[in-house]
Amino acid sequence: MTGLRRGAGYLLVALAVVVFLYPIWWMVVSSLKPGASILNDPLGVGPFTLDNFRAMFGSVPIGQALGNTVLVVAVKGAITMVLCPLAGYGFAKYSFRFKELLFGVVLLTLMLPTLTLVIPLLLEMKQLGWINTYQALILPGAVDAFSVFYMRQTISQVPDELLDAAAIDAAGTLRTFWSVVVPVIRPGLAALAVLTFFNIYNDLVWPIVAVNDPARQTVSVLLAGLATNVTGGSTSSGFDLWGQLMAACTIATIPTVIIFLLVQRHFIKGLLAGSVK
Amino acid sequence: MSLLANRAAPRQVAALSKRRGRRGPRTGWRGPLLVAPFFVFFAAFGAYPLYYALQLSFIDWHGGATYRWVGLSNYTYLLTNPDFWGALGNSAIIWLLIVPAQTIGAIVAAGALSRAKLRFKRLLRTAVIIPYVTPLAAMAQAFVLIFDRDYGVVNHLLGMAGLPSVEWLTSTGWSKVTIALLVLWKSSGFALIIMLAAIQGIPGEVYEAAALDGAGPVRTFWSVTVPLMRHAIAFFVVISTLGISQMFLEPYVLTGGGPYNSSTTTGLYLFQHIGASDLGTGAANTFLLVIMVLGLSLAAVRVFRESK
Repeated sequence: MTGLRRGAGYLLVALAVVVFLYPIWWMVVSSLKPGASILNDPLGVGPFTLDNFRAMFGSVPIGQALGNTVLVVAVKGAITMVLCPLAGYGFAKYSFRFKELLFGVVLLTLMLPTLTLVIPLLLEMKQLGWINTYQALILPGAVDAFSVFYMRQTISQVPDELLDAAAIDAAGTLRTFWSVVVPVIRPGLAALAVLTFFNIYNDLVWPIVAVNDPARQTVSVLLAGLATNVTGGSTSSGFDLWGQLMAACTIATIPTVIIFLLVQRHFIKGLLAGSVK
Repeated sequence: MSLLANRAAPRQVAALSKRRGRRGPRTGWRGPLLVAPFFVFFAAFGAYPLYYALQLSFIDWHGGATYRWVGLSNYTYLLTNPDFWGALGNSAIIWLLIVPAQTIGAIVAAGALSRAKLRFKRLLRTAVIIPYVTPLAAMAQAFVLIFDRDYGVVNHLLGMAGLPSVEWLTSTGWSKVTIALLVLWKSSGFALIIMLAAIQGIPGEVYEAAALDGAGPVRTFWSVTVPLMRHAIAFFVVISTLGISQMFLEPYVLTGGGPYNSSTTTGLYLFQHIGASDLGTGAANTFLLVIMVLGLSLAAVRVFRESK
């Protein structure tokens, strides 16, 4: 009986693994197959060719899009990783007037959905002449409420005695933060870094509005644009493009899967940070 | 040196606090300075654009040089527009297709996983969460091809099983279902992680007490474990409701909102004002969405408080 139940358990596990991984597998395999065999033999593995990748690199500026994404991830991520922990430090360990009220504002903006800011921000960017600029991609959302909130929770757990001891050594604010707080909260910082990476890399809501110039678009914007080219018209005109599309999607997806596998522990910790309160 | 400093610490800290005022060593202008960047960014890219958009929501403007004050007519236009309500209805149906099944499924799966002594448990957790980290723009595109009416894998498999093809993306009846399937595929791992953590957070004594009362494993699960998970459950329901209320990319890529607007969600509807350059109406729509989302959040917080 238990053997039977155990067998059923393994069967369910195997089924779940297949269901959740198959679309990714199918995407990668299709990107390596000639267009005709994607259509006629969707389940088949092979014959393999790199033609889709060659054609795709020739017809779509994906190298540039990847470069833009890397730039945005690096600069925006750096701003987040410097300013949000410092703000969290201020909220967790300093006393000043109106602190509770100001932290209330942070919590309130935590509830404000990104999509509601899209049209207001678009209007502002038009006013500033920032459409199709890197600063439009980088600055809005670089210091976000969740990161400040998470860092405040993390830094609250640093014992005051450590900070007091640093104060006796006459260490300044930034030196205390760097040499006392940072070593203690390193796991929290790692989780924040991983989460920030995925949020910026996969962000689409804002970039798709902020840029329409191919020279500035990120990978996600590029992919969404390809998608509408295919689904917008009748699919028949897009048949040749299936393989190229899957090649572009594969290039955008594989880095996220590899990075996730490397930093899985930190990622899950960061995900749970939002729910544990 | 640090040893000495530590030993002398309490007295010196007291002296230090006295010098800097009564409230301890970390007071003064440094705290406000540390938190200032958040408020600078919020003012520049949150409060100001919202204020500007609020003004604009009372104006008829299509991006050109001419605009005129129209009072509440952007709002009344939306509130009397069947498309606006249609999008709200579509989002509500998509919510019904996703949230109850996903929440209950994740609770049951987490319960089974936390009890079962299976190998490959970690493999399962990893496999289920991977879709969550992939770029939505890419995977939505893959779903378009996988669910294609004529050449997609899903209809191919249905055909092999002797079943008729389904118009996943091209019929008013199925378009919302396909969107729900994409969301279920992509975010169920997140649900599972949340529920697993909630179960692991329950102290062992609770189960010992239940065992003493003679409760079986299934009874214990539903009447002891699940009520103790209510915080995590409420959190997940709120998060996914907010996510669905602003969903736009899934229908944008999968169906373009069609056919016949059958899969236009509240988020996509808002987004379409940008394409139409109808920014006054778009701004008004933004504030209707803000009111709706804040209302939903507050209601959820309230329900959660009462259940405590």
